[in-house]
Amino acid sequence: MDETFTLIPLAIDPSTKSISTSNPALSSEIDELNKLHRAFVSLDTPNQVPPPPAPVNPKRSVQINKMRESGNASYKKGSYGDAIKMYDLAIRMASERPGWEASGLVREELSALYNNRAMAQMSQQMWPEGAVDAELSVEMKKVGNVKGWWRRGQCLREMGRVEEAAEWVRGGLEFERAGPEKANVGELEALGRDLEASLAKA
Amino acid sequence: MDDTNNTTFNSSSSNSTYDSWQSSRPPKSFWTNLTLPVLYLTILIGSLYAFSSLYRKRKLQRAASLESWFSQHKQRDVYLSLLHLDPAEASEGEGEKKLKQVPDSLLKAALLRRALEDIQRIVQLRGAKPALQTLLQRGSVGDELWQRFLRAEKEMEEEVKDVVNEANAFAPNWGQTIFQSANEMNQNILLKQRAAEVSAQLEGERAWWEGRRAGIQSDFMKELEGESKPADAAPKKTSSDDDAVLVDGGGPGDQQGARKRKGKK
Repeated sequence: MDETFTLIPLAIDPSTKSISTSNPALSSEIDELNKLHRAFVSLDTPNQVPPPPAPVNPKRSVQINKMRESGNASYKKGSYGDAIKMYDLAIRMASERPGWEASGLVREELSALYNNRAMAQMSQQMWPEGAVDAELSVEMKKVGNVKGWWRRGQCLREMGRVEEAAEWVRGGLEFERAGPEKANVGELEALGRDLEASLAKA
Repeated sequence: MDDTNNTTFNSSSSNSTYDSWQSSRPPKSFWTNLTLPVLYLTILIGSLYAFSSLYRKRKLQRAASLESWFSQHKQRDVYLSLLHLDPAEASEGEGEKKLKQVPDSLLKAALLRRALEDIQRIVQLRGAKPALQTLLQRGSVGDELWQRFLRAEKEMEEEVKDVVNEANAFAPNWGQTIFQSANEMNQNILLKQRAAEVSAQLEGERAWWEGRRAGIQSDFMKELEGESKPADAAPKKTSSDDDAVLVDGGGPGDQQGARKRKGKK
């Protein structure tokens, strides 16, 4: 393996500099490479290599924060549709970060944004959307995300899936009781108690 | 005197001839005596050497014939193919715009893809190691599998070194961060996959909720109609009926939802 490799017939388009191959098994790999290459071309770092992940380029973070702020403002005014739109944009912006930027940051941002979108959707009684967004938020950040756990539980309850909601909240409590948001776990506990009570009644 | 001299000379000469005969004779026998042990030793050492070299060769052959742990390293192949590409030949343009060389950015991108694949392989190896060790100790897997694993580990080490060297050739100190970047890429890819999985539920959930809501509404309308016909129904009873309808509506739908979720897991 050390000194040998399989030569792959490749062709380069001189104007776009994108490569292509006649081997269909490799086409997905080549597509990924071309995508990554485009990201490289737009890099403005010295030597045109991706910067180390630790200090992140603040431009995008600032933009995402701005969008989230305006989404929050619309939410406070009561125009939930606008708020959802702003959160949508911010989520797209956050998930289009170049792949080599810190994944922890992406998790953090997306978790907060999905959480906010779930909140706006719940205000419009869009329960299934809210449930999925809250689950996404939890998926990104399992511990220290009491709101996310609570929101999905509440959405499921509103849709009448009490059993599922109770199970979900139980799982959430297991994570959160040991987590950094121990103090705020009361609301989730209350929801859990309600759900257990309605289960016992049924 | 002369005679004696002569005799002494004679004797000396005879002596010398005797000496020379004696001195030439024993070495011959000494060498012939030596041939036997030398022959013995050469045959012994030769056979030992032949055996060991044959054994080693066979072992190497067997190791080489072992299936490699991973499938072909596509990203590495692409990168090296790009390095060895003759750009004038490969560019499809008609003469007027031939590339002088493969663009550096393309090579860097290919190298980062290669590092990403390496990271994925390293993660796989690290995950497999403890399990494989346990299985090997219990004798559940053969030694061959372990040999394959060790070889894969060694190859990965070489591969990582190679990538670091290549990266340093493109930009000073890139070798120190290329694997960090590749690791973050790997994490981000996993994150996106998971998010896509969860988001894919949305359509089904939405459709289910539409149907469910329509069902509840029609039930509610029926309830209202049924209520208006027998006017003597007590309000207390209606509230309990309402409850019952809600639970009824929740029953099958809930089960369905639970089953669907289980199926996905």
